[in-house]
Amino acid sequence: MPGVLIVEDDADLREMLRDALEKRRYTVVTASNGREALAKFRPSVIDLVVTDLLMPEEDGLMVIMKVREIKPSVRMIAISGGGKAGPGSYLLMASKLGADHVFSKPFLPSELVMKVREIIG
Amino acid sequence: MKKAGDKVNETPAHLPDHGTEGNMRAIAGGIAHDLNTILTVIYGHCEMALESAANQAVAEHNIQRIIHATNRARVLTEELIDLSRDLVQKAEATRVSQILSDTLNFYKPSLPGTISVDEKITSPDIYVEAVPAQLFRVFMNLTSNALQAMEDRRGTLTVSLDLVEVSADQSVQGTDHAHIRFEDTGKGMDGETARKAVSPFFTSGKGAKGTGLGLAVVNEIVNNMEGTLKISSESGKGTIVDVFIPALPFGPVREKI
Repeated sequence: MPGVLIVEDDADLREMLRDALEKRRYTVVTASNGREALAKFRPSVIDLVVTDLLMPEEDGLMVIMKVREIKPSVRMIAISGGGKAGPGSYLLMASKLGADHVFSKPFLPSELVMKVREIIG
Repeated sequence: MKKAGDKVNETPAHLPDHGTEGNMRAIAGGIAHDLNTILTVIYGHCEMALESAANQAVAEHNIQRIIHATNRARVLTEELIDLSRDLVQKAEATRVSQILSDTLNFYKPSLPGTISVDEKITSPDIYVEAVPAQLFRVFMNLTSNALQAMEDRRGTLTVSLDLVEVSADQSVQGTDHAHIRFEDTGKGMDGETARKAVSPFFTSGKGAKGTGLGLAVVNEIVNNMEGTLKISSESGKGTIVDVFIPALPFGPVREKI
């Protein structure tokens, strides 16, 4: 099955998203911040990254940019609870950086699963 | 008496450079951000509980997660209520050593045997203009952070209070400040983490421990008292938090020649 890397600093949300995706038989790797995500990113395993944007260490925007450098074909979904970076929202910036889809929190696990299926099958 | 001199008055790199209104906006944004994350957890487990209604064990697990997340949201809203209550209270001449003792006495009975507290109160009669409940909140937060940093290890929290002279630059006469230091021998933080520590969005223990608002609120309260908060930390060695608050011109008398 395709592999998904979930990057989220909130432990409860991270585990919930892991459960939702593993139930649909995706291979799931999790990280609690951007730095850990970059350390755990294996191009041969991960097809899609679901990343929060506001996190300690490296933030989600940095994850999008750096992971793309390592594997240009990787697909991205950004999630955020709000917040602005300069003139635009973080989600807008994530879109501009090439995220395939963005979700504003709160969203349903089924919405995420449906989008993941649409993007990587 | 020590002279803090220009060291204290440099704008600390980790503090936001906007004013109180900006800080409040950032704290409000932080609360909204964290509540949205918790709502996602509640929303999601509701859906998962519905999907698993036929499997009682799975449904129960999801409902337990909903209760857990709701409790987290409650802590966050309680923090918000405390903050709004503090903002309308009146500042008064407050004896710093009294609030400090109250704080440490609150924590001491529950301290594990592996952690000791060392009090160094060299100037017990310093008064500052503060809302006592706010000052208590500042000290409670800083004590709690220090103790959390020493979890699972032996350690010492050293709390000191003295009077220092703080000047905008070395050439002008400084003003007296209460200097309260919280020094722990805990796990410490790397430079980037220490720099972001007062951000309302930031916590090193989200979902498990803090709400991520503690230090942001401490910073806001200290700023409102025209004080300064400085954090220095080293990964694996510990953290020092220095709080400087203008002292009222009574209490300890500094010798002037």
